[in-house]
Amino acid sequence: MSLLGVEDVFTAYGKIEALKGVSLEVAPGSITCLLGPNGAGKTTLMMSIAGILKPKRGRIVFDGTDIAGRAPHAIVGRGVALVPENRLVFPGMSVRENLLAGAYQRGDKAAIEEDIERMFGRFPRLKERAAQFAGTLSGGEQQMLAVARALMSRPKLLLMDEPSLGLAPLVVEEIFRIVADLHKDGATIFLVEQNAHMALKVAHHFYLIEQGRISFSGTPGALAEDEVIRRAYLGSSRA
Amino acid sequence: MIDLAQNTLDGLFLGSSYAMLALGFTLIFGVLRRVNLAYGPAIMLGCYAATWVHLNSGAGLLALAAVAVLCTTLAGAYVERLCFAPHRQGSAIAAMVASFALWMQLEELATLALPRHIYPFPPLHGGTPLEFGALTLRVESLVMLGAAVAACAALWWILYRARFGIAVRAVIDQPGAAQLAGISVPRTFMLTFAMASAIGGLAGFLVAASHEQVTPMLGMMFTLKGLLAMMLGGLGSLPGAVAGGLALGLLEAHSQWFLGPQARDLIAYALLFILLAARVPWMTTRSAS
Amino acid sequence: MDDYAIGVLTNIGLVSFLALSAYLLLIAGEMSFGQQAFFGVGAYAGGILTAMYGWPLPLAALAAMALGALAQLLVGLPTLRLRGLYFAMATLAAAEMMRILFELVHFQRAIDGEAVGPDGTQGFRGIRWVFAHGVEPIEYLAIVYALLVLALAGFLLLERSRLGATLRGVGEDPELAAALGVDVNRCKLGVAAAAGALAALGGVLFAHHNTYIEPRNFDIMLGVHSLAYALIGGLGTALGPLLGVVLDIGALEGSRVFQGYRMIVFGGLVALLLVWRPRGLLDERTVRWVKQRFS
Repeated sequence: MSLLGVEDVFTAYGKIEALKGVSLEVAPGSITCLLGPNGAGKTTLMMSIAGILKPKRGRIVFDGTDIAGRAPHAIVGRGVALVPENRLVFPGMSVRENLLAGAYQRGDKAAIEEDIERMFGRFPRLKERAAQFAGTLSGGEQQMLAVARALMSRPKLLLMDEPSLGLAPLVVEEIFRIVADLHKDGATIFLVEQNAHMALKVAHHFYLIEQGRISFSGTPGALAEDEVIRRAYLGSSRA
Repeated sequence: MIDLAQNTLDGLFLGSSYAMLALGFTLIFGVLRRVNLAYGPAIMLGCYAATWVHLNSGAGLLALAAVAVLCTTLAGAYVERLCFAPHRQGSAIAAMVASFALWMQLEELATLALPRHIYPFPPLHGGTPLEFGALTLRVESLVMLGAAVAACAALWWILYRARFGIAVRAVIDQPGAAQLAGISVPRTFMLTFAMASAIGGLAGFLVAASHEQVTPMLGMMFTLKGLLAMMLGGLGSLPGAVAGGLALGLLEAHSQWFLGPQARDLIAYALLFILLAARVPWMTTRSAS
Repeated sequence: MDDYAIGVLTNIGLVSFLALSAYLLLIAGEMSFGQQAFFGVGAYAGGILTAMYGWPLPLAALAAMALGALAQLLVGLPTLRLRGLYFAMATLAAAEMMRILFELVHFQRAIDGEAVGPDGTQGFRGIRWVFAHGVEPIEYLAIVYALLVLALAGFLLLERSRLGATLRGVGEDPELAAALGVDVNRCKLGVAAAAGALAALGGVLFAHHNTYIEPRNFDIMLGVHSLAYALIGGLGTALGPLLGVVLDIGALEGSRVFQGYRMIVFGGLVALLLVWRPRGLLDERTVRWVKQRFS
């Protein structure tokens, strides 16, 4: 029984039909990756699952219910949290307030405080900067903050859109180490990336998306890594 | 010298009402990124409702204030539903033009209910003004200042101590991320509108009570002063709205004293134009798409 | 046709110049709350020239248009780098300043023993050139509409020309236009001059139709209305703002039924209309659809 099932989803982004019948599954407790070149539809898919874009057709079944077209905050309420492309922290709010915002739908103050402490434990750099404005953090710190903020809603499914974007290689390694750690603690992660190399190191299952359609589904090793990388950056000639 | 001090005092009190109006405009602009041209008329409707109650019953000042705030909030909710909710992800201009259409509608509603050019409104304080040496202090003015301070304090508390405040600040700061954090943006818009309307309704009540009258010009006046003060203080900044309101009040009080009512308005507009043309940093930071 | 109907139709024609003026600025991407000021400049300038200096109306109209263009350039130059609401508020401030100046101007000459000229808030009466020269109301109506048709022809030519496409490009995405080599500032200033001239032409005609003008005629309400006409009638074609004018003034006159609560009905309808059609009735999509159907 998959935690997330995307069934034949068509989504338009402005006037462009970005997703042309995408189907995939995310098994509970796994790290699933979606790879593909720019413009293939990765972010569109993430936004469709998170409720920011409404699919024209198809179903998005999460934990047994079709969530396609629901409001974003309702989807967060059901247990899906997205770490968006470009982080999108709240620059004018402190690190602590960013975390509080992530827990907005929760009412259990004591547990929220515990979670904040836990985040500080997992991301010590955030603890150092707890009172600082998020806009003053470095790219890597903002990425960690964005992940921590998403985790504050205690999601059943964590979506990550290009977590390595714009980050230095050492920072990227750290991010993926965090991804692996999260998984060890029981999280289900669906991750979209262009950095195929790092993604394949952590993924249990991966999909390739090209021009709005899934072109490959399999485990790392099922396709030669350089073939995957080539298609992740450039797409194949027959998609 | 005494003139200067007296004008400064008067200006501060005048500016308190402008500050509240500017706060309302700024809340709506900061959170919804939209200009609400029906804000002034909604407040006028609230004032007129309070006037109607006053004319038809012996209700006390607190009751009248409550009526003004309540009716302004209801009118504001109506405007929000019709002009802003439908265009939430769409055109800012369509929302603005729709709010202009409702400006006309709300004004006509008010003047239909109370068609005369002027209606008396009960004063806040029937007694004589306080005197401090050569300076005169009307009690109304003190109440106005006190109300402005209280409104700012309440707003501050909501934004920085209440849970809802995080939602408002998040939507102001980074609307795209607010949704992802589980904040209901439509609900935040509605409640922000309610807050802005409540502050506006209070400001309107105090202005009516200070002037001891209501006239059909109130709608336009509230809108112009609020917009002017908001722009002077820096579009989209709440502390700026307060500063802009106070500055406008001070400017008006001094120019009116030395140069008369027309110069008063001329100077205010000229100042705004010059500041905008010079693109002074504090005024042009927020994108107003 | 009775005098009343002629009056209404003339009014529609006069306000149309103002609406077209706001529309021109809108397609170039600038929202102006201040076109009423240039309407006023035209009215006062034209009135002064004919009533106080005996100029013939056509010449006075040309001079008024030139002054209107100049006035709008004076506002447009300092505000070139402003966008959106900032620009709109700057135009509002400038327009209100001009209106206050109209209130402060007392400039009269003795003509045939009477004092003629603008008298501050008392207004400017006696702009009687049209009546002194025996022009019948219906003839005046024809003149107004002939000029309006000329203006419309100009707009329709503009829409089909490369200049028109350039202007719309500047309106939609000035950075892109600049990157493509368009001199955005020159476009904006050109549009400003044309818009000022158009509004002033309407103003001259207005002054001579009414024979009496006062500063209150040129207040913010008029300005926001003219903007609204363009935005409600539609931004896809110059006929859009005209449609807006006809709908509003037509509703005013035609709604004896709604006497007294015309705005309540009309205001609500406009808000609802905008939910359905955010870019106005004759928006770009509709105009394209119509063009396709007829080609």
